[in-house]
Amino acid sequence: MTRRHAAIAVAILAIAAAPWILATPYWRGILVLCAMNVLLALSLNLVMGYTGQLNLGQSAFFAIGAYVSTVLIKSHGWNFWLAGLVAVIAAGVLGLALAAFAARLRGHYLAIASLGFAVITYQVLLNWEDVTQGVRGIYGILPPVSGTTALFYLVAGVAAAVYLLLDNLVRSPVGDTLRAIREDEVSAASLGINRAAWKAFAFGLGAAIAGLAGIFYPGLVGTLVPDAFGIVESFTMMAMVIVGGMGTMIGPVIGAIVLTFLPEVLRGFGELRLMIYGLALTLVVLFMPGGIAQAWTAVRARARR
Amino acid sequence: MIRATALNKSFGGVRAVRDISIDVPENSIFALIGPNGAGKSTLLNLLSGIYQPESGTLEFAGRNLIGMPAHRRVRLGLARTFQKIRLFKQLTLLENVLAGFHIHQDAPFWECLLRGNSGRFRDEARELLAFVGLGDRAGERAGALPYGKQRMLEIARALATRPRLFMLDEPAAGLNAAEVDFLLKRLEQIQQRGVTLVVVEHNMDLVMNVAHRVFVMDHGDPLFEGTPREVQSNPRVIEAYLGGEFAA
Amino acid sequence: MPDLLALVVQQSVNGVYLGCLYVMVALGLTLIYGVLNQINFAHADFVTVGAFAAFFVATRFATRMLGLPDTGGYLLSLVAALGAGAVLGVLVNAAVFAPLRRRGSDELRPLIATIGVSVLLENGQLALFGPIPYQFDSPLARETIRLGPIFFSAQSVLVVAVAVAAIAALYGFMRFTFLGKALRAVAQDRETAGLMGINPNLVIALTIVIASALAGVAGALLGPVVVLTPFTGASLIVKAFAIVIIGGFGNMEGTIIAGLAVGIIEAFTVQYLGSGLIDLVVFAMLLTMLVVRPTGLIAERKEENV
Repeated sequence: MTRRHAAIAVAILAIAAAPWILATPYWRGILVLCAMNVLLALSLNLVMGYTGQLNLGQSAFFAIGAYVSTVLIKSHGWNFWLAGLVAVIAAGVLGLALAAFAARLRGHYLAIASLGFAVITYQVLLNWEDVTQGVRGIYGILPPVSGTTALFYLVAGVAAAVYLLLDNLVRSPVGDTLRAIREDEVSAASLGINRAAWKAFAFGLGAAIAGLAGIFYPGLVGTLVPDAFGIVESFTMMAMVIVGGMGTMIGPVIGAIVLTFLPEVLRGFGELRLMIYGLALTLVVLFMPGGIAQAWTAVRARARR
Repeated sequence: MIRATALNKSFGGVRAVRDISIDVPENSIFALIGPNGAGKSTLLNLLSGIYQPESGTLEFAGRNLIGMPAHRRVRLGLARTFQKIRLFKQLTLLENVLAGFHIHQDAPFWECLLRGNSGRFRDEARELLAFVGLGDRAGERAGALPYGKQRMLEIARALATRPRLFMLDEPAAGLNAAEVDFLLKRLEQIQQRGVTLVVVEHNMDLVMNVAHRVFVMDHGDPLFEGTPREVQSNPRVIEAYLGGEFAA
Repeated sequence: MPDLLALVVQQSVNGVYLGCLYVMVALGLTLIYGVLNQINFAHADFVTVGAFAAFFVATRFATRMLGLPDTGGYLLSLVAALGAGAVLGVLVNAAVFAPLRRRGSDELRPLIATIGVSVLLENGQLALFGPIPYQFDSPLARETIRLGPIFFSAQSVLVVAVAVAAIAALYGFMRFTFLGKALRAVAQDRETAGLMGINPNLVIALTIVIASALAGVAGALLGPVVVLTPFTGASLIVKAFAIVIIGGFGNMEGTIIAGLAVGIIEAFTVQYLGSGLIDLVVFAMLLTMLVVRPTGLIAERKEENV
């Protein structure tokens, strides 16, 4: 247990120091984005890495978190935290709706159903102008705390808490159950596991966590347009999970950090950033199937020998 | 224990199981035999709930099983293994068996979330691994085990559900002579602990040595039922098997 | 002819034309699925590459350098697009599908790897060609044919003709050539096909190349009638998947019917509900189909083999 405590202490120190190492407003904004990406990668990893359900629609839940909270705050004058809570629940409930498909579909079919789900969500945001303002977007959104540093501490704190809770969860009997479904659904059922219910659990919780990331996004950028939630956002989350190491806890965190900072370090513009994501995704699947996390474990094992 | 009457199941117009009625006595070892394509595995899939029959009745300990999904049958005490081994290949042996305790897990959810409760079945899981001869390999990846050991691991995993009726689909397939001996002993021990066994098997040594009753199927039809001795001397069974294992 | 009837016929004509474009895109996806049980997510980006290849050949190379007339230049560009698609097919097979198959990979890794290829191709083209739409002038798109109250462009005649020719060629190939028969054998049962002396690697490579060449041609046909940007194909991919699923994955007849149906439904959606709702309608259809009949329009149910 002491190693875990040491790791937690290091993580807290790193989070505390980060905004003072990267001490410009621009880089602090990137740090917030990074913490948000960690949350998103963790959410997708629960569904894809631990439960084995290929979900190409995670961007939809990110969008629901962002839009539901913002509309409640801007149009109805709600308090951020209450609006955020409702938004997270809304995203979770929508996750259950997608899980209803996952109960019947597998593999490619689920991948495409989830893709269709994300496209429908995007189209609704685009077309339901009375509520979402469509392409015109919603402007002048304030973050829940003032200052980018405070926002970073808030989002990073939330991400760290979610990490610890999920880490507990995947090492508990719940984790055994989810991994069993990932490995072989028929076997899992033969052990008394109700696949549909547990998939619903994973999709619902994963969607709620993506929604949680979503409630912080509008305050960071100040505006909200549907284009921030295209299906390519689902792919960038997937790239983070796969590059870092799907089905491990630390992998997606590493993936999110690497893929947030790599394009920045390379001084990238939009297309370069996405080109890196695409290339990284393909190369890792081809040459490093376990991602950075597994490659690191392998290197350490070799060093010890 | 488990009683079926007039079960029917067909695939794309071909009857795989036709009017099969069985009644497995409690705490017995009941063998299902027959040539390839006789419908034994299909019958097992009907009993365990992977398929639903088109007609017929199915009861377990007095409870109706028709329409009940596979995972709910496990809670009543039905467990099974698969002809084509279906392990959780990327998981360790211990994790495989732990997943088998699913229906007995009682750690509250908040405890799993907040304290990382790893369940209270680790010791019992290790005992099960030792029981099937894998006690010293708990940390290995299941997919890396040799074939025969994989079959034994699948048995340990199913036993973790604490079945009252345990169905095995060709447990001896691909096992060497020593492994078959070991399996045979274990099956008898499981039965002595009060578990009823239904075994689909091609290995006649195993069937004749451990089974109390034998049910013979051919092309989806019931052919004969009796004690191993009666089956061995029945002319219809011998005919169905001519050139098969029986002739040898 | 009364106005309403004319309108219905006009929209049906538009729908068939649109449907033929979709069939050209979706056929390749379904062909690959039928033989490999894999999805090439970058398939629609091959369409975009085909469109840009055709654009540069037709408007720069053929007319300016070879001095061909407009129509001749455009027809030549169809061939160029076919070649571009085929080359991409060779590349994606060599780089992604073949290595992953050798490793005995699951069904999801190739999908994820080709998602990477798709993101890479889109943004690579964005870096090369920029986000501003290209004006791909095809002489055929300008020429309008009038039949009573019904109007259509010469381009739409070409689209339908090419689609019909492609389908006919594909069927002829599958039925009458040895390679085509081998392809069907591999689609049915890879192991048995191997025993029959068919090299499945070759057949799979061929399938991917044919499918990708079809995508390239589809791009050349689409180029002049849509807004040509690096994301032209991407906007189609999800619709193409919808068509493939509605038709039943890997089922060619189903894909053709579903492609035409989606085209016609889309034409009427534009007429009566507005173009903003097209994607919503198509995906509502997709999700309904997945719930009601996940095996597609024409397909028998397969029980899981345990």
